Amino acid sequence: MTERTDNLFSDAGFIRHNRQIAPGHFLLSISIPLAFPVPKPGQFCMLHLPGNEAMILSRPFSVHGFQKKKKEAVLEILYRVSGRGTQFLSNLTPGAEIRVLGPLGRGFWRLAGKRILLVAGGIGLAPLAFFLEREIEYGNHSTAFSIYLGAKNAEILEGLASRIPAGNQKLLPATDDGSIGYRGPITDILKKDLEHLATKETMILACGPTAMLKSLAELVTQKAVFCEVSLEERMACGIGACLGCVVETRNQNGSSTYKRVCKEGPVFDIREIVWSR
Amino acid sequence: MEPLKLDVNVGGLFLKNPVIAASGTFGYGEEYAPFFDLGMLGGIATKGLSLKPRQGNPPPRIIETPSGMLNAIGLENVGVERFIAEKLPFLRQFDTKIIANIFGETPEEYEKLAAVLSCADGIDAIEINISCPNVKKGGAMFGADPDLAAEVTAKVRAETNLPVIVKLTPNVTDITRIALAVESAGADAVSLINTLTGMSIDIENRRPHLANITGGLSGPAVKPVALRMVWEVFHAVKIPVIGIGGITTAEDALEFMIAGAVAIQVGTANFIDPASTLAILAGIENFLDRHQIGDIRELIGSLRL
Repeated sequence: MTERTDNLFSDAGFIRHNRQIAPGHFLLSISIPLAFPVPKPGQFCMLHLPGNEAMILSRPFSVHGFQKKKKEAVLEILYRVSGRGTQFLSNLTPGAEIRVLGPLGRGFWRLAGKRILLVAGGIGLAPLAFFLEREIEYGNHSTAFSIYLGAKNAEILEGLASRIPAGNQKLLPATDDGSIGYRGPITDILKKDLEHLATKETMILACGPTAMLKSLAELVTQKAVFCEVSLEERMACGIGACLGCVVETRNQNGSSTYKRVCKEGPVFDIREIVWSR
Repeated sequence: MEPLKLDVNVGGLFLKNPVIAASGTFGYGEEYAPFFDLGMLGGIATKGLSLKPRQGNPPPRIIETPSGMLNAIGLENVGVERFIAEKLPFLRQFDTKIIANIFGETPEEYEKLAAVLSCADGIDAIEINISCPNVKKGGAMFGADPDLAAEVTAKVRAETNLPVIVKLTPNVTDITRIALAVESAGADAVSLINTLTGMSIDIENRRPHLANITGGLSGPAVKPVALRMVWEVFHAVKIPVIGIGGITTAEDALEFMIAGAVAIQVGTANFIDPASTLAILAGIENFLDRHQIGDIRELIGSLRL
């Protein structure tokens, strides 16, 4: 049964392919009915692990790609195996049925700017590559794009970089072991660049591990640059009911509020987040 | 053929069918309305309401465990006043019974909540939450002591003419003692079980997965325990029993009804599939058809021994 309203969809899809693009990193392509609403970059989907009675909860994944074809739509998910759920997912083969709920949450704002810096920590590239793909599709020639991509090593970085749509953007790589690009955290390169790039004409969109986002938050604190981050939290429902995925956010009066990553996020203004953990 | 009779009477709360969305898993209905007509449900138990808004516990608040999940949300809610002003009008649009789940830190807070909600238009019953394991004060503290459980129940009873349901905790030595205590104090029905207190540890950093350290276990993992307790309580009390605990399919729901539950609540399954209550209802109808049972009440407590 297809259930669908203006912007939500819950239905079975079928796996087209599920292939490894780098050690532990996979590209999942799902065929879903055309009724699936077009996701905005930064939105996510819940994927239900089929035929698994032990792992009952669906998993949230950023939308990495989406195309409408003649008879179906294709949803792409880029993921890293990081636990039992993603391990299970990586073993699914073409033809397997998989329930998709989405598109969920609030995506990136689309603001006009002279320069957009996409800051990705590893698999955090997934929604940012989708953002860039859409910008290229829209024919946005007035913005200069740079991708700051950090990864563990060259092999993973190159696998991830293969998922960046072709365009005129600049790629600035960093790896933990220095096997390609700068050796160290990606935010180190960004820090230098921000010395001359941090203006009102620049915006930063970022997704990656908490440590990276925390450093980024410190980098932009005193700067005039606009910065949005896509967050990840464990969630049970993805639709705002379980209240399991909250993050602490700052109010104007100095107090703080919990907001749901699934509903008020997953994209937040970086200045709104209280980075305590 | 006569139409199927699915309506049940839960201590004066008349439901058109026995499927209720459980408190804490269904918000105030808004999140689920995009998926199906909420008027299909027998009832909706609201997120636990307190006098003042509550922020809830710090994250992380949930973790999946085998065939279940632990949560320590800590009763985050908008508070009873905002509920009545902002959330209840939305819920009232649907042809379903609204069960206000209430939570207090003292018996007097429960009393006030019952008074306020009884004056609000559109509440069909009150469910007393004396079983939340994730708050420091109140909650399961009342639910684990027969005298305190009876005191809270009596205070609410005195403030309202609405049917009063008491939601029980399984984290006790003998749940029938609590059930009997609240029955004597004037409860119209009991609902059980709330979550089982549990824990999960991340061995890499040796920290608990939940900031609250412990949390409430729910989902299919708790179903056999819940079923056993429903069966025990059904035999101990005269008031109706609402079965809760890991109900994910129609078969699960039917087990509870055969064990003695007059109605059932669906909790964690709402997270797995937002329309699972509907699938459960359809499955129950299908079962009754298949077994040529015209009235669902024939099933309740029909366990053969």
